[in-house]
Amino acid sequence: MWIARVRSSRTTRESPDRSHVPTVVIGWRRRPGDRVIRPRIRQHRLRRVLGTSALYGIGYGNVGSSIYYALGLTALAAAGATPVALALAGLFFVCTALTYSEGMAAFPEAGGSAVFARHAFNELVAFIAGWSLMLGYVVAISISAFTIPAYLGYFVPALKESLPLGIVVAMGVVAGLTVLNVIGVRESAFVSVLAALLDLVTQVTLVVLGFLLLLEPERLWRNMVDYWPDTTQFLYGISVAMVAYVGLESVAQVAGEARAPGRRLPQAMGLVVASVLVIYGGVSLVALSAMTPAELSTTWATDPVAGIAASMPAEWLRATLAPLVAILAASILLIATNAGILGVSRLAFSMSQHQHLPGLLSRVHPRFRTPHVAIVACSLGAVGVLVPGFGGGQVFRDLGALYGFGALLAFCLAHASILALRLQRPELARPFRLGVSLPFRGRRLPVTALVGLVGTGLIWLVVVVEQPYSRGVGLAWLAVGLLVYVVYRRVNRLPLLRPAPAAARPSPLAPLPPGERGRGG
Amino acid sequence: MDVRRILVPVSGGEADRQAIELACLVGRRCHAQVRVVHIIEVARTLPLDANLRQEVQKGETILERVEETVSELDYEVESDLLQAREVGPAIVEEAGERQADLIIMGLPLKRRFGEYSLGRTGPYVLKNAPCRVWLCREPGQASQ
Repeated sequence: MWIARVRSSRTTRESPDRSHVPTVVIGWRRRPGDRVIRPRIRQHRLRRVLGTSALYGIGYGNVGSSIYYALGLTALAAAGATPVALALAGLFFVCTALTYSEGMAAFPEAGGSAVFARHAFNELVAFIAGWSLMLGYVVAISISAFTIPAYLGYFVPALKESLPLGIVVAMGVVAGLTVLNVIGVRESAFVSVLAALLDLVTQVTLVVLGFLLLLEPERLWRNMVDYWPDTTQFLYGISVAMVAYVGLESVAQVAGEARAPGRRLPQAMGLVVASVLVIYGGVSLVALSAMTPAELSTTWATDPVAGIAASMPAEWLRATLAPLVAILAASILLIATNAGILGVSRLAFSMSQHQHLPGLLSRVHPRFRTPHVAIVACSLGAVGVLVPGFGGGQVFRDLGALYGFGALLAFCLAHASILALRLQRPELARPFRLGVSLPFRGRRLPVTALVGLVGTGLIWLVVVVEQPYSRGVGLAWLAVGLLVYVVYRRVNRLPLLRPAPAAARPSPLAPLPPGERGRGG
Repeated sequence: MDVRRILVPVSGGEADRQAIELACLVGRRCHAQVRVVHIIEVARTLPLDANLRQEVQKGETILERVEETVSELDYEVESDLLQAREVGPAIVEEAGERQADLIIMGLPLKRRFGEYSLGRTGPYVLKNAPCRVWLCREPGQASQ
């Protein structure tokens, strides 16, 4: 992206008598006093450095960390059908990943579904996509933080046994990370890759050990059949299982930082999909061999991977693996919580810059150079959704459903946008193009996007119908967001559907106002 | 020494002047093109394309100062303002993309726990740059 900052020519030496002499004349030698017209070539550019491995690290670090709570959440709803629910959700995950690959390669900008919706529909739909995604991020922060004390319960049992204590610790984790992010502690892209590697090694080790030592096909089959849920619970289980895959958006959020995005983004997506499906399949099969669905959804609901480690047959293996899993899972979840805070603050800032939300959210701290208002506001939201847990009830289950509400709506809009773009802009350059497609009105519609749209749409409806908490909170979130959007746009005399005029929407592409330029600007 | 393109990352510190002077000297000898870049480091809590007006203004000022220095030396440079997540990788990428033969960097006189510290960027560039790297440390007493 080249930014218009090329300035006019500037005189560096004044000498009227030689003013006509150009600097390019061959054989001419400049002498003191000569006038030289020197064009100032200055660009303001973005330096993109993320390659496939870094993108994979970010993607797997987010999607892979979900297994530490998604397994328990899915078991709460799908019981014996947990592996099947995860597999079916995985099918929609593949469709969604393919949709994102086409979209991100065509529009390598941060924003994911909101960007696709902006190009396919209008600003209002882009706002709904971004706002839904924000709900997903806020709840993701809460869930990740909420499950950290559960894993640390191996060392301090009260952290797992006492719900209020667990919630207080989770709130403390969010508060601590908020402070660190406001101050602007550096985190290199290497941390994402390291976390993903740690995650992958831990999970592969557990799956391999589980297959060797725990997997009993007969017991697995009995656990599945004896605890098979009714159809409604099964469908709800699939919707909850989608929680496992929501981290997919994290890759889309850094699409604007990818080097050769048309090639590397689909590559990274493919690797994330392959790793996630293998690991999730393995972990869920091992878990149901090691524990009954009843145990998985009660004793080990918030720390299912710890349950696998505690079920190892040999005492020495349990003694080694259990503390290791506790430490690794807590660390990975801490990184995932932080990734959620980073993601949501970027999203809030970006929405504010597109005039979807008040400009206050795009304020950058003069000293720390971080969007402190956006970080604090989103973290308060994450802490807020944990508060109902103090009144008892099923805060974990409710958070899972709410997570699905926001993320699934964003996924639906992503699929719809890709389909709409195929109809409206067939000529658009698509470095990655979904292959299998159906003819429709002279255009080609990708089958995976159609399957993804119908699948995620139906699952979202199941969440809305079956879950009063997510229905109430989710719809209220949408209503409040739409109200803020409409009032903000009306007050600032901005169109509701069209993008804000360039003058009203600050962008690094626009030259700075004269008063704010540097010396000589 | 065959040097055609020299990259000089500047941060606005005291050491910049030495790096620029050295780059102009080498550039004059080798008929090399000198490109000066200032990199705005964007926090991970912000999108990479965030409009950081204060930082841009500061960067512009730094480049203006460099151009004044270059003008005094009677040489020509191209200046560029970049936004990136990390300075080190951005310099390395820029050098690779521009096919620079030499990177000349000024290093501040920084102490950590009483000891002279190279910081993060210098060692990263030394380790990863695709070309020669020269470092100029600003004057002063490195050890106490």
